[in-house]
Amino acid sequence: MTRPLIPTELIAPAFNPATFGKRGEVHELFRRLRRDYPLAVAEVPGFDPHWIVTKHADLREITRQDKLFLNSVRSKTLASQVAEQLMRDYSGGSPHIFRTLVHMDEPEHAAYRQVTQAEFMPQSLEKLDGQIRAAARRHIERMASMDGTCDFATDIAFVYPLEIILDIIGVPAQDHARMLQLTQWLFSYADPDLCRPGANTTDPAEIIKTWDIVYREFKEYYSGVIQDRRTCPRADIATLIANGKVNGCSMEERAMISYFVIASTAGHDTTAATTASAMWVLAEQPELLARLKAKPDLIPGFVEESIRWATPVQQFVRSAAEDYTLHGQRIAQGDLLYLSYVSANRDEEVFDDPYTFMPERSPNKHIALGYGGHVCLGQHLARREMRMLWEELIPRLGSVEMAGEGRMSESEFVCGPKSVPIRYRMSKA
Amino acid sequence: MITAASRRWQCQTCSDIYDEARGLPEYGIAPGTRFEDLPDDWVCPLCGTSKSDFALLAG
Repeated sequence: MTRPLIPTELIAPAFNPATFGKRGEVHELFRRLRRDYPLAVAEVPGFDPHWIVTKHADLREITRQDKLFLNSVRSKTLASQVAEQLMRDYSGGSPHIFRTLVHMDEPEHAAYRQVTQAEFMPQSLEKLDGQIRAAARRHIERMASMDGTCDFATDIAFVYPLEIILDIIGVPAQDHARMLQLTQWLFSYADPDLCRPGANTTDPAEIIKTWDIVYREFKEYYSGVIQDRRTCPRADIATLIANGKVNGCSMEERAMISYFVIASTAGHDTTAATTASAMWVLAEQPELLARLKAKPDLIPGFVEESIRWATPVQQFVRSAAEDYTLHGQRIAQGDLLYLSYVSANRDEEVFDDPYTFMPERSPNKHIALGYGGHVCLGQHLARREMRMLWEELIPRLGSVEMAGEGRMSESEFVCGPKSVPIRYRMSKA
Repeated sequence: MITAASRRWQCQTCSDIYDEARGLPEYGIAPGTRFEDLPDDWVCPLCGTSKSDFALLAG
């Protein structure tokens, strides 16, 4: 069977981080792919061929079958041939710099996930409600104390979920800014404003050089934390990870450090991106703020729609463990599949009017937080944080409008607003 | 004590909770629908886990 090929000039921008700074172009690209090449192969020079999976149903079919579509044997995110070889060089043979839950297959994945899973269950998170609500109030009060303008991305959205997850992990407040910086180096390695100082963003190997530096920085930081929590256990996530057992044994070192990395980065960055995106929408749609103020019970739907709207994780890559027929195409064992979450969450066959922000959308079947066994471990925490922030802010927000141009980060992996300048009026508490 | 009206079931993959009292009206499942009355091919709306991989929550 002949494999359908996407013209290289059409798909190549999806392999370039800079494209993702221009949301209109990204959505137009994937709209065309869904229409003309819903499941087809990209052959971009410097990269192995990838099936580009654009349809919501296909992403769900793949991600529900972890034994057929693997995470661990090839790079988990889009990587050039040079980059993947470098990862093997740096890591001693693995196609990953990090060995997080995201990079594992079963049964290892479930065993590692179990170490912290109970802490992120809805019934466990209830005990954090007071802490989360207090943080939300404090940040909203800080916003109220400003002069009616701020950059909502950097002033509020970046720092609120950062503070909560790092408190839960057990990272002291004086280290939060450093954690944010490392997160931005990791996820925005090619963004001119957020990348590691000195990074050569034109170098195809830069992503791996940066990731290796980030890994070593986290290792240096968390090695002391691990030592401390083994000696003096506390009621925090760091203690669970440092003392966690997998099948009766201590975690392998790279996996343990990576556990801390994913908690300290993905544990806030996607929530921040979603929160900043939601404010961007509010600032451009005054009637939406009026609707939310009139009907506060729309706030959970507003959160859910903002998750779909933002879809911070742009893509993950899986490799086929065996031959498989998907959407009428024969996927061969070893083939790479690029799962476009940003495309799936604008799929016209699933979402009515997908380019319109609708908090009333119900059910909202987005898969921005994943689907299947690798669904986001922190999803219930993220929803709680966002719901409480908006519950505190919406009643006090008299008006909001953009005070300049919003800007997206340039990243083909995790992408969100890096600047959302707003002008607003707020009432006193 | 667990009563028929208060039963909640938890997805063992993503920890989402199916609350019989609430149902899932957005998916056409009326409030009060007992877990065993959900279709056999029903899956977790958040992650797609099978009905058989839900566990009854105590209390």
